[in-house]
Amino acid sequence: MAEGTCFVTFTVNLQGMSVDRALHGDNPAKHFGGKAHGRYMASIGAERMYGFFRSEGLKTTTFVPGWEAEQHPELVRAIAAEGHEIAAHGYAHEDYTNAAGEADLLAKTHGILTDLTGAAPRGWRAPTGLLEHETLAALAGLGYAYDASNQDDDFPYRLEADGAPGMIELPQTEILIDAELYSRRATHSKLRKWWREEFMAAYEERIYVQFTLTPRADFGSARASRLAVLKDFLDEIRALPDVRIVTCAEALGCIEDGTLFCRA
Amino acid sequence: MSGRLDSGITTRTHEWPGGKRCVAVLTVDFDGDCREVGRKETPLGKNSHGRYSAKCGVPRYLDLCDELGIKATYFVPGYDAEKHPDLVREIIARGHEIAAHGYVHEGWDPGEQEPALLKKSHDILTPLMGKPPRGWRSPGGSKTEVTMRTLIDLGYVYDSSEKDYDLPFTAHGPADRENKLITLPNNVSSLDDYPFYRVSYTPPSEVLAHWKEEWEAIRAENGFFDLTVHPRVGYGSGSPARVGIIRDLVKHMQDSGDVTFVTLEELADWCIARRDAFARDWEQENIGGTHG
Ligand SMILES: [Zn+2]
Repeated sequence: MAEGTCFVTFTVNLQGMSVDRALHGDNPAKHFGGKAHGRYMASIGAERMYGFFRSEGLKTTTFVPGWEAEQHPELVRAIAAEGHEIAAHGYAHEDYTNAAGEADLLAKTHGILTDLTGAAPRGWRAPTGLLEHETLAALAGLGYAYDASNQDDDFPYRLEADGAPGMIELPQTEILIDAELYSRRATHSKLRKWWREEFMAAYEERIYVQFTLTPRADFGSARASRLAVLKDFLDEIRALPDVRIVTCAEALGCIEDGTLFCRA
Repeated sequence: MSGRLDSGITTRTHEWPGGKRCVAVLTVDFDGDCREVGRKETPLGKNSHGRYSAKCGVPRYLDLCDELGIKATYFVPGYDAEKHPDLVREIIARGHEIAAHGYVHEGWDPGEQEPALLKKSHDILTPLMGKPPRGWRSPGGSKTEVTMRTLIDLGYVYDSSEKDYDLPFTAHGPADRENKLITLPNNVSSLDDYPFYRVSYTPPSEVLAHWKEEWEAIRAENGFFDLTVHPRVGYGSGSPARVGIIRDLVKHMQDSGDVTFVTLEELADWCIARRDAFARDWEQENIGGTHG
């Protein structure tokens, strides 16, 4: 068993109707029933999930699409006021594939979030999981310090070779993204079993671990039953010695002071 | 019909290396970001999983093999070998076999380009290895007579892509080649990590239980256990938990005292020295076609 601290980050993708609109179009007359799962986020999902975080004293990094911030400014301000880190998550659930206008959307969202919270976001995550090296370069140009889109390492690493000098990757872990399992209709017990096995083995090796949660009912963790799963799991993690839960921004600080390893 | 069903073919037994009841091979299909590059995807974000192989997954398997005292066969696509030559040398230095696995993991029939593609990867691997690779596994299951002919002409002695048999055997055809490849079948439905981590989304502990059942059944038939793992994220077994169950599985098998772990190359040489014992009765199986 390795020694030292196991750094763990809980991230949230604040994905409401931006996802459903990207899938089904932006005509609000059609945003009902099966084309409006995303409304759960702003109606009850976020409130329940962030209430849970408050009662647990857990600070997350919350990735916010610019469009969601425009629709729900009070919600985003409230999340920030609770001490969660606000980071950027594209404008309205678009792919980043070097299509025209992508750099403008990055800048637009950057402006929206900066104005709303009074501080420029330091991190970004691709809303659909797709990005290009040019995306990273554009983010570096806007002054971003980290990306959290990749799923390819046990530790943070520098993004020089990927076209973004000065930026750091804080990688996700695929199977620790709730949507990966719940979108495939995993049962609670399946998710709990899988997360426990992956996390405990990662903890033994003291690698960097990032969880990703979504405040939705369909592919997220916002239903009461799913937050109960999260509560059990969080209790287990917190009972372990040497676990330190940090936001992405705090993880950067730990890299700076040498407590968290970062690959060159 | 009853004669065929009475033939006892399912309990056919062989002598195996080490004098054990069974023979086993751990095969590690490198599958780095060549796979995404081959599919014209940028290996970032949700398509970044292949980058895990070189950074984390392969080093973890090298340590695991040392710990377990086994030598494995690493199938390395040409593109990944070009990008990570030092890692390929490291795999060899630690006693493992390198075998070929396409250039950018062509999971399709490359058609008339195939001979050139096989040659390209062959020429990348050969100088890195200091000798030519002797084995090949299809990157996506695609394989034709052209493939076999080209492999034979390049000096390969075995293929590990066939799904129609449990035991090693001498290949059927091509008719115009004297040297037939030894076929070391790979089972991509049940003894591969992909179906569980990418198709059924099964947690590692249940995959371990499944593979232990595979092992017990193969052990009962004195057979050949050919496990395929991918050292990447997503469909692969690169993460600590998933490498952990490979450790548990191999230890469980070793504890039985009934198995020797070898490389595919060692097994192929074993079979070549006993070609008659590994012949299949093609006439009885009536596989059809004009080759043979
Ligand atoms: Zn492969």
